[in-house]
Amino acid sequence: MTSFTPFSYVVINLARLIRPSEVTFSGVNSTLPMLACLVAKRAYDFNFTWLNVAGGVDAELAGPVPLSSGDAALTAGSRSIFANEDFYDLCTRGGMDLCFLGASQIDGTGATNNSVIGDWDAPKVRLPGGGGSAVMMPTLKRAATWRTEHSTRTLVDTLFFQTAKGNLQSVVTPMCVFDKREGRLAVASHHPDVTLDEIRAATGFETDMSQAVPTAEPTEAELAALRSLDPDGRFEADAAIRMPETAA
Amino acid sequence: MTPSEKLTNLEEMVAAIPHGASIGLGGSFLHRGPFAFVRELIRQGKRDLEIIKASPGYDIDILCRAGCVSRVRAGIVAMEGNFGLAGGYRKAIESGAVRLEEHSCMTLTAGLRAAGAGVPFMPVGGVHGSQIAEISGWKKIADPYGGGDEVWLIPAIRPDFAVIHAHAVDRDGNARVEGSPHWDRALTRAARKVLVTAETLARPESFAERPELTLVPGFMTAAAVHAPQGAWPGSLAPVYDVNYEAVAKYVEESADGSMSGHMAAAPEAKQEEPA
Repeated sequence: MTSFTPFSYVVINLARLIRPSEVTFSGVNSTLPMLACLVAKRAYDFNFTWLNVAGGVDAELAGPVPLSSGDAALTAGSRSIFANEDFYDLCTRGGMDLCFLGASQIDGTGATNNSVIGDWDAPKVRLPGGGGSAVMMPTLKRAATWRTEHSTRTLVDTLFFQTAKGNLQSVVTPMCVFDKREGRLAVASHHPDVTLDEIRAATGFETDMSQAVPTAEPTEAELAALRSLDPDGRFEADAAIRMPETAA
Repeated sequence: MTPSEKLTNLEEMVAAIPHGASIGLGGSFLHRGPFAFVRELIRQGKRDLEIIKASPGYDIDILCRAGCVSRVRAGIVAMEGNFGLAGGYRKAIESGAVRLEEHSCMTLTAGLRAAGAGVPFMPVGGVHGSQIAEISGWKKIADPYGGGDEVWLIPAIRPDFAVIHAHAVDRDGNARVEGSPHWDRALTRAARKVLVTAETLARPESFAERPELTLVPGFMTAAAVHAPQGAWPGSLAPVYDVNYEAVAKYVEESADGSMSGHMAAAPEAKQEEPA
């Protein structure tokens, strides 16, 4: 039996995308990446630069994690303020290694839609909008996104609207981790309790699974870090991540 | 001492804003927004406003619900925190009551930078592959100096007013912001007029001691208001945090079609107008 919950699966697998010595950015409306950056800071034995949308640089939280991923609490302990214009300019001049960018829909090439469900001019649902992605996605080195719902309406063959396209490298869902290979999102690893058939049924685009392996179990350090960040389970409850009914 | 030419009160500041004005708002999502000012726009029944902000949330939502807005230029819109999408904004766009010019946060800022620099457009990195460029009619050019990639050009965005909530202002309109300025530097340089609401009214000497902390020099400020709790129900770090209970109540009440409880609970509605 795996010790992952759907919530810890997403957060810890986002944290595992962070690499030593790199510059990593977490943005607005991005609670799970905020937690992933904090897990990596607490659980991994390497240094990386964590920039966040609140202006923090390697912040060290003094108190509880804020509900808003743009809260000034994320500048605690920061010895500089690296504000919005600065981190966008850093990105477009090639200085961002990894950015976590939200997406409502993702297609098999890693293009994303944050804009609308339906026609842009007469949307059925108006979504939050492009945010950073249209500018950041083509200019950063690697982007990662996440979905709390793995389904054929979030992972699609055809987007309603292409808000951004570029260097999306990784997608983490409660079922699996996608990694882009030769221009297509392929399943790199899957939740230990989820089968490849279940992933195929819940995914709207064709995806290569030939190299998929079960995701490595969470380490004690990862679980301890996440517990320290979400001691009363508030973030886990808010995220409300459930497995699709077809899956375990 | 000569009387202040800049200090006024919220009611008079907003009375000077015509229907149809374009207004750039400071802060980001639930943080350091000029929200007392926003609620005063509603109380005075302003109509046909254009709202400009890279990451609006509560402000655009409540203005849409009140019917004050006809146009918005924005990068990303959500209530944020754990509140999800902005329902009043959503409804306004989906029904066609409000027209959106969709941006990436940095393309909006490129437009503001162009206005701030007095040039008709500004190059911006990225945007390649985004359909936002098509629907917005943006143009790209090859590097006229012969090197590198094509670059997208964003037309200047010049709001009639920039309105920010600062930590402190003095009688001459000098405004100090602590922590992240978010987008407020580009915004205040781009607008025709800068209006400042501020948490505290500070002595001019305190600005002279640390002039590098002044985000907006007084000569650029058209009017200033002492507005304690002016970012409520959002945060003004480190003075106060987001009032999540008040935001939750707003979300709940407004979904039922009313805002009167929320408007009455606002700090500026409960205190006398500051002098």
